[in-house]
Amino acid sequence: MKVGLSWDLDQNADPVETPVERWRSVLDEIIQADNLGFDSVWIPEGRDTAVSCPQPSMYLTGAAVKTKSIQLVAASRTVGHAHPVRIAEEVAVLDLYSQGRAGISFLSGASQQVAEQHVQEVVDFVKVAWTADEFRYRGDYLQFPSSTGDEAPRGASEPEPNSALEFVPQWEAGPVQPEFLTVTPKPHQRLPMAYIEVDEESTLEWAARQGVSPVVRADVPTEEAVERLARYRRIADDAGRSRAEVDPILERRLIIDGASDPHTLGGTSDELIKTIRQLKLVGSFRHLVWKRETSNDGQLLQFAGEIQPLLQA
Amino acid sequence: MEFWTGAGTVSKNRKMPTAIAAGYDAAAEGAITAEKLGFDGVSAAEHHFMYDAFMPQPLQSLAAMAAVTERVKLLTGAMLLPLYDPLEAAEQSITLDILSNGRVCMGLGMGYRPLEFNTFGTAKKTRGARLVEGMEVLRLGTSQETFSYEGKHYQYENVSLLPRPVQSPIEMYFCGGATPFGARRAGKAGLPYWLANSPTDHSEEIIKEYRRIGLETGHAPEQLKVAVFKDLCIADTMPEALELRDFMMNTFYEEHILGYGYLVDADGKNLYNPPKDHPIYQRFYNSLACVTPEMAVEEVKRHEQMGIDAIYMGNRDLVAKYILPEFK
Repeated sequence: MKVGLSWDLDQNADPVETPVERWRSVLDEIIQADNLGFDSVWIPEGRDTAVSCPQPSMYLTGAAVKTKSIQLVAASRTVGHAHPVRIAEEVAVLDLYSQGRAGISFLSGASQQVAEQHVQEVVDFVKVAWTADEFRYRGDYLQFPSSTGDEAPRGASEPEPNSALEFVPQWEAGPVQPEFLTVTPKPHQRLPMAYIEVDEESTLEWAARQGVSPVVRADVPTEEAVERLARYRRIADDAGRSRAEVDPILERRLIIDGASDPHTLGGTSDELIKTIRQLKLVGSFRHLVWKRETSNDGQLLQFAGEIQPLLQA
Repeated sequence: MEFWTGAGTVSKNRKMPTAIAAGYDAAAEGAITAEKLGFDGVSAAEHHFMYDAFMPQPLQSLAAMAAVTERVKLLTGAMLLPLYDPLEAAEQSITLDILSNGRVCMGLGMGYRPLEFNTFGTAKKTRGARLVEGMEVLRLGTSQETFSYEGKHYQYENVSLLPRPVQSPIEMYFCGGATPFGARRAGKAGLPYWLANSPTDHSEEIIKEYRRIGLETGHAPEQLKVAVFKDLCIADTMPEALELRDFMMNTFYEEHILGYGYLVDADGKNLYNPPKDHPIYQRFYNSLACVTPEMAVEEVKRHEQMGIDAIYMGNRDLVAKYILPEFK
């Protein structure tokens, strides 16, 4: 079982801490997590406070060159602040700097006040952009290249096979605007993991049918969160999707030797091991993300030594 | 005068094949090396949709360099501002400014490739105006808690960007080629000006024009900062320097000139694959100065005497060996 860490950079920050200090203290913990064998780190996009991070892929690119193994996920990504080409590019660049450790997790449409289909088109587009050579894309919310018209089929399409005979390399093409184009660079991985927060039933169903990995955030009570992941799995199974293609995420607060509440897993190390193993079986997930409330509290070391090995055994 | 250089080209050019991910590693290493060698700034450029996988996100690339350096300025040279929503560009610059504790310096260009404008859906003819407006939005966004802006291309009302950057505002330069038109545009707007590579006599004239217009328009002299891109082909002997120029042309510049319309005619129209005896091709070729180390030092001294604030030279190791010791 994989275990990751997430932070809301803007929550529980020391009120006199500057963003430089806050971001560095989280980076220190990311480096420690990488050394201890944690599997992923999740930095959410935010713009609400003096220490929020509006560009998590940039933050994680800094972390990429300070770490070796840990997966780096730009979380709670919105679709309205950047062109979808730039979203595909930023993940590819992060993936190259980290040599294959990048991921991205999108907010649902409702959470960012945009149409659900808008988010779905962006998720679909970036996956094509990472893997296809020349392509075009026609959706209701994006056209790539911008000149793509109604004659193009919906979604992504590639050139007809016979057009290979007319291929002209870029350095000879001159000012002609191609109908099909590639987004570069390509990621180091074949396909970086794309996640979506499934806080809407319709988003959950779409993600399950399309093979997009679900994330249930820490603000959903544990019982409901696990049921949501179980429902995702049932729909995915019915749709014939393989369990191997997705990475369902349960995010939880966690306190070793502390009390449980509906959003927090607490207890001794032994109790936590049993609880997490039980939740895993009910919810069919393999990746727990520990939402960090504090930094440098010694619990990372304790978790890595006492709990993580028994989750993976 | 500050000395700036590149951290390394992150692309897989057909004449210089290299592994892309290894190139990214090398870019971060290049920034470390530049800092150790005594440079004051390292830069990253931007292009999109290229077969050679050219770096499309310069501020993100600089975030990697920020993490492994402590002193050196992190420059975009150039970032193509008209292809961004200026608020997104401001957020990216703020993010890097925090990551680097205040070391960002944005060289902002208008771009020249129709392919990029057409694909993003931005009218190329608006690029100059978008660059000037976008820079004003960046200045406001990184220096004022709340701002409004009413331009022809961009309008914002009561915008507050959080978090706040370390610098206020973030340092930036207008990269507007090396034409009197570009110089006047930058001078009139009171924007610091980063000239494209050109023969030194020409640069001197352009800088004079920039300062004249800037002062006439009422901008303070300290606001009218100047940086210069300078391509020097440095070698121990002139035949070797000439050989180096041909190598740079064949492996790097020719790629831009052939396929992407890097050279433009007097009307601003891109020239694709111009013949090598074309006067504009020849002028560009001759602007790549072939020099011995002694001549290189003299060239840089001439720029210092012009009172410029920074000079960018791409030939990192040779500049460190022959030029920096004379000035640092």
